[in-house]
Amino acid sequence: MNSLDFSIALQAWPYLWSGLLFSLALTAVAFVVGLVLGTCLALVQHFEVPVIGRLVRGYVALMRSIPLILVLFWFFFLVPIVLGHLGGNGRPVPIGATWTAFITFGLFEAAYYSEIIRVGLRAVNRGQFEACQALALSTFDTYRSVILPQVLRVASPIILSQTIILFQDTSLVYVLSLTDLLGAASKLAQLNGRLVEMYLVIAVVYLAISSAASQCVASLRKRYAIAGMRR
Amino acid sequence: MHQLAAGNKPELSASIVVVEKLVKRFGHFTALSDVNLSVGAGEKIVLCGPSGSGKSTLIRCINHIEKHDGGRIVVDGVELTDRMTDVNSIRREVGMVFQSFNLFPHLSIVENCMLAPMKVRGLSRAEAQERAIGLLRKVRIHDQADKYPGQLSGGQQQRVAIARALCMQPKIMLFDEPTSALDPEMVKEVLDTMVELARDGMTMVCVTHEMGFAREIADRVVFMDRGTIVEEADPETFFRAPCTERAKDFLGQIIH
Ligand SMILES: Nc1ncnc2c1ncn2[C@@H]1O[C@H](COP(=O)(O)OP(=O)(O)OP(=O)(O)O)[C@@H](O)[C@H]1O
Ligand SMILES: [Mg+2]
Repeated sequence: MNSLDFSIALQAWPYLWSGLLFSLALTAVAFVVGLVLGTCLALVQHFEVPVIGRLVRGYVALMRSIPLILVLFWFFFLVPIVLGHLGGNGRPVPIGATWTAFITFGLFEAAYYSEIIRVGLRAVNRGQFEACQALALSTFDTYRSVILPQVLRVASPIILSQTIILFQDTSLVYVLSLTDLLGAASKLAQLNGRLVEMYLVIAVVYLAISSAASQCVASLRKRYAIAGMRR
Repeated sequence: MHQLAAGNKPELSASIVVVEKLVKRFGHFTALSDVNLSVGAGEKIVLCGPSGSGKSTLIRCINHIEKHDGGRIVVDGVELTDRMTDVNSIRREVGMVFQSFNLFPHLSIVENCMLAPMKVRGLSRAEAQERAIGLLRKVRIHDQADKYPGQLSGGQQQRVAIARALCMQPKIMLFDEPTSALDPEMVKEVLDTMVELARDGMTMVCVTHEMGFAREIADRVVFMDRGTIVEEADPETFFRAPCTERAKDFLGQIIH
């Protein structure tokens, strides 16, 4: 093998960049959908809503016990069939790889985030709930203004590490023939034979983004740190 | 003054809180049995008794944080029942101060005081802030308004908790051992605040073992033991010459 030649990576940058954008977009959507939906799932379990609470618990357990790659396959093949039956004529309705990826990641991450939030909810001191009751706050205001802000603050480091894992997991979309950062690098590497350079470059990109995210959250935490709050 | 449901006895009308034949169970354990108490407007009551006698449970029933199993509780002319659709209409009128302060740690002192008036009473931000600052001044802590609870001492936090409850302009204030989590040197500043509140005419039910405080402001001392009210008297009589053995034992213990 010749000496390392990084100019290859430079030439290939536009293609890598489009892959990176896809990874970032998928991460962002899955983060937002997952966190919002996950919070709802956590609340449903927290309130022990009859029947639905159990269903949600089952859903979360299921998602957390099977590999994401398998869920991606399922959704890719199952969702069109389900949609077809809902549509009435029974013929599968293809939704396309991109939609499959966004929906699957959102739903899958929701299970993980919901578990983080659920544990956080249990950790809130009972006195906080009682103070809200004594002040006649509605259940909605209690959770929105008092309980969830505390849970999200306390859980933010775990939410962050889950999100970094999510960012790395976006590479699994190769099974749907979608091209993320890793996928783009692999394809280029096979074309130009510069495997080492390509994989080194994207490893650096992954490292840079993940540590930038950690830094960013750390400084946000510092800025929004609650003065005098333990934990 | 109060709107009474038809059939209520007329003597209830002067009372803000009426408790009749109250029963509260936790599983098979009966925490309160046959408790009768009425609190008139402007009256100050000190509740005392040994640990586990049901003092906290009683005052927590009054704002429905605990649901009672028998008897009646009428607050401000409205009976508390399981079927009641809007328990918050009563809680709005009942302020409560906890042993462990229970301030919201993620909100500043002034925001702690503004939250409920804005969400529950519908005050604007500016109105809520003005009211909050006014009451923080009253408890002499307005210069800390922008700090967070974790930055204050226990005594300061408890005074904020009192101001926060007062911001709802309640008709009655309940205190559950407000000074027993405090270091001794901070007890006085909280008691002074409560004495001032009493002088302003607030109706108060205080669970406390601070006998000096009880002597100073209580109209009545109510002594509880094993889930019932054993003795009720004005503070002078109660502390000097309690009628029951149980109250004598209790006073003997807390004086040491
Ligand atoms: N949530 C609960 N579940 C079960 N038992 C309870 C509960 N809350 C209180 N009790 C019991 O009810 C009894 C009365 O409790 P309560 O807290 O009212 O006593 P107290 O007079 O306030 O005592 P203290 O001075 O220790 O605060 C106690 O025996 C207590 O163990
Ligand atoms: Mg108690």
